[in-house]
Amino acid sequence: MQRQGLGWFEERLGWSGFREKFLDKAFPMHPSFFLGEIALFSFVILVITGIYLLFSYEPSAQIITVGGRSFPAAYHSVTQIDKQPFGLIVRQVHHWAAHLMIAVVILHLLRVFFTGAFKKPREINWVIGILLLLITVMAGFTGYLLPYDAFSVTASGIGYQIAASIPWIGVALAKFVFAGQFPAIGTIPRFFGYHVVIIPLLLIGLIGLHLLVMIKQKHTEPSSSRGRVAPGRLLGIPLWPQQTSLMVMLFLLMTGGLLLIASIFPVHPIELYGPPGPQTPTVKPDWYFLWVFGLLKLIPGWLEIHLGGTVLDPEVIGGILLPSLLILLIFLVPFLNRTRERQNYLEPVTKHPLRTSIGTGVLMLLLTLSAAAYQEVLDISLAIFRLAAVLLPLLVGIATYLAIRLFRGWRSKTIKRAREPLSSDR
Amino acid sequence: MAEEHERPEHANQAGIGRRTLLRWVVGVGAFSSLATLALVLGTVKPQQTSQRDEKIKAGDVLVFALGPNKGDPITSTNASASRPAGIVIVPEPGQHKGEPIIPTSVGLGDVTLAFPRGKEMHDNLIILIHLKKSRFVPPTHLNWLPDGFVAYSAICTHLGCTVGYSYEPMPGAGVPYPHIHCPCHQGMYNDMAGAEVVSGPPPRPVPQLPLALNAKGELVADGPFDGPVGPLPGGR
Ligand code: HEM
Ligand code: FES
Repeated sequence: MQRQGLGWFEERLGWSGFREKFLDKAFPMHPSFFLGEIALFSFVILVITGIYLLFSYEPSAQIITVGGRSFPAAYHSVTQIDKQPFGLIVRQVHHWAAHLMIAVVILHLLRVFFTGAFKKPREINWVIGILLLLITVMAGFTGYLLPYDAFSVTASGIGYQIAASIPWIGVALAKFVFAGQFPAIGTIPRFFGYHVVIIPLLLIGLIGLHLLVMIKQKHTEPSSSRGRVAPGRLLGIPLWPQQTSLMVMLFLLMTGGLLLIASIFPVHPIELYGPPGPQTPTVKPDWYFLWVFGLLKLIPGWLEIHLGGTVLDPEVIGGILLPSLLILLIFLVPFLNRTRERQNYLEPVTKHPLRTSIGTGVLMLLLTLSAAAYQEVLDISLAIFRLAAVLLPLLVGIATYLAIRLFRGWRSKTIKRAREPLSSDR
Repeated sequence: MAEEHERPEHANQAGIGRRTLLRWVVGVGAFSSLATLALVLGTVKPQQTSQRDEKIKAGDVLVFALGPNKGDPITSTNASASRPAGIVIVPEPGQHKGEPIIPTSVGLGDVTLAFPRGKEMHDNLIILIHLKKSRFVPPTHLNWLPDGFVAYSAICTHLGCTVGYSYEPMPGAGVPYPHIHCPCHQGMYNDMAGAEVVSGPPPRPVPQLPLALNAKGELVADGPFDGPVGPLPGGR
C-alpha cells in the first residue's frame, strides 16, 4: 500500500535500495544510546531558536542613546527581543538548550568511555566526538558574550586575559580572536560571525561525519544481545518506523521540557545584570568552566615555570596548560588501548577496573576543582582545597578499584555456585 | 598513424611524468591558495576603536566614573563617614550614610571609582580611597596623599577585572582590615600599604597614582601610574 503511494517516486528515484540500506537500519536498544540523540536534538532546537533571535539581534557594541540612557546596541536589541511576545521565552530556551547540549555531550562521552565503545574500530568517532565537545563549548562561550551585558563582558574579558597570557603569541592571538584589545568595538561583530556561522557550520559538518562513521561501523550493542542474532548482524529496532517514532517523541518531549524549564527558571536575566559599566560584578563562569576557574584559584600565585627565556605564569598554567593536557589525554584514550580485536559490544564497567577507576578519579578531580570555584562561599580554606584536589580523586579512584575487585570476587563465587549442580549433571 | 601508437607513455620532453606534473600543480596550487588565505586573514585588522589610547598625565582632573555625579570633578572634604559593612562593588559617595548624596566630594572613609577627565578608558580607571593620612605606611608613596586621598589603578593585575572595596575585614583570608577586593577571584590588596597583595592570585600590587589638589580644590593626577596597569602580556 505504501509502495503504491510512493510508486511514482520509486519509478523516478529508485529509492527502494535506499530504503533497505538506511530506513531498515537496526538501532540497538539501550537507554544510554539516547544521549547522542538528545545532543543532536538540542542542537536542532538551538538552530531554530537561534534563527529566531537572528531576526532582531543587532551585532554591535556601539553606544546608542535611547530615552536619555546609553546602552551598547547589542544589549539594547536583546532587551527589545525580551519584550517581543515570544522573544523572552525563545531566548531562554536558546540558553537552556545550550546548557543541555553541553551537559549531554559530556554524558555521552562518559557513556562511551565507561563502556569501552571507543575501542577499535571507533577511534575516529572518539576524536570527532571530542572535537564536537570542544566546539560546542566554544559556541557557548561566543554566545555568552552576544547580549553584551555586565556579566558577559566580564566573563569574556577574563577569557581574553587568559589567552593574552600565553607567552610569545598570546597577545597577537587574543587580539586576532577578539578583534583588538577587549573590550574592543570589533569584538561583537567577530564573535557574532563565529557564533552564528562558523561554529554552526563546523558543528553540522562534524555531526554529519560522526553519524556517517557510526552508520558505516554499526553501533555497539548491549552485551545482552550477544549470540541472539547471526554474527555480523545487529539486534535492534529498524529506523523506520519504530526508531523514528521514538525520535519524534524524544524531540517533542525535549522541546516541551525546555519550554517548561525556561518559563519557570529564568536564565541570564540581562535586565537585572545591566549593561557593562566601569565596575565588575561578582560573577562565576558557566558550570562547564568552573573547574578551570577553581584551578586558577588553587594554583598559588608564586608558581611560575621559566622556560627558554619566557615565563609561564599561573594563569597560563591553570588556564591553558593543564586543561590542554587533560584534553590531549582524553584525545589519546583509544590509542592507549592495545587490544587488536574489534569491539562490538558494550563492556560492563566492571570489566576494566583500572579504566573505570581512572574515570571516576578524573571526574572527582573536576568536581573538586569546580567546588573550589565556590571556595569563598563555602568558607573552606584554599589549603584544604589544594589537599582535597589531590587526595579526593585518588581516594575515589582507589575506592572504585577495590569495589570492582570485591564485586567481581563476589560474582564469580555466586556464578560458580550456580553452575555447580549443572556440571555434576553432565 | 603507426607512429602515434609507438608514442611512449611519458612523452614529455623534460622527462617529467604526467602524474608528477599533476602532483606539482596541485601542490603549488594548494600552497599558493593557503598562502593567499593567510595573507588575507592577516589583513583582518581590528576595527578602529572609539577609545583613544591616552595615558594619564600630571594635571588631569579626576572625575566620578559612575553614579549620579558621573563626570563631576572630585573635591576633598573631611566629613567622616560611619563605615558600612560588606563588599561594596558600586561605591557611590554618601550613598551608604543614609544622608543626601554629597554632590562632588568624597568624605573620610569613602571610596569611589574615578577617571581622568576626557580620558575615560578602561585602563585609566582609578579607585580613590579617603582615609586619615596617618594610617598609611610604606610602600605607599606617602607624599602622594593630599588630605589622605590615595589613588590606585582599579584594574586588577590578575586578569583585569575592576576591583571593588571591602569594608568588611576578612580574617579567614588573613586580611583583618578593610581592603581593596577583587570580585573575580578574591584578590585582596592592602590599600594602606601600597596595595600590597595580601590574599588571592594577583601577582603584584595595583600601581599607585600620584595625586595633588589644584587651585579649585579638585583632585588632579600629579603624574602617571608608578607601574604598568593590569595584567602583563604573556611571558612578560
Ligand atoms: C545555528 C545555530 C545558532 C544560531 C543562529 C545562534 C544565534 C544566537 C544569537 C543571535 C544570539 C544572541 C541573542 C541573545 O543573546 O539572546 C545567541 C546567544 C547565545 N547562544 Fe546561540 N546560536 C546558535 C547556536 C548555539 C549553540 C550551538 C550554542 C551552545 C551550545 C549557543 C549558545 C548561546 C548562548 C549561551 C547565548 C547567550 C544567550 C543569552 O542571551 O542568554 N548557541 N545565539
Ligand atoms: S581578576 Fe582580580 S583576582 Fe582575578
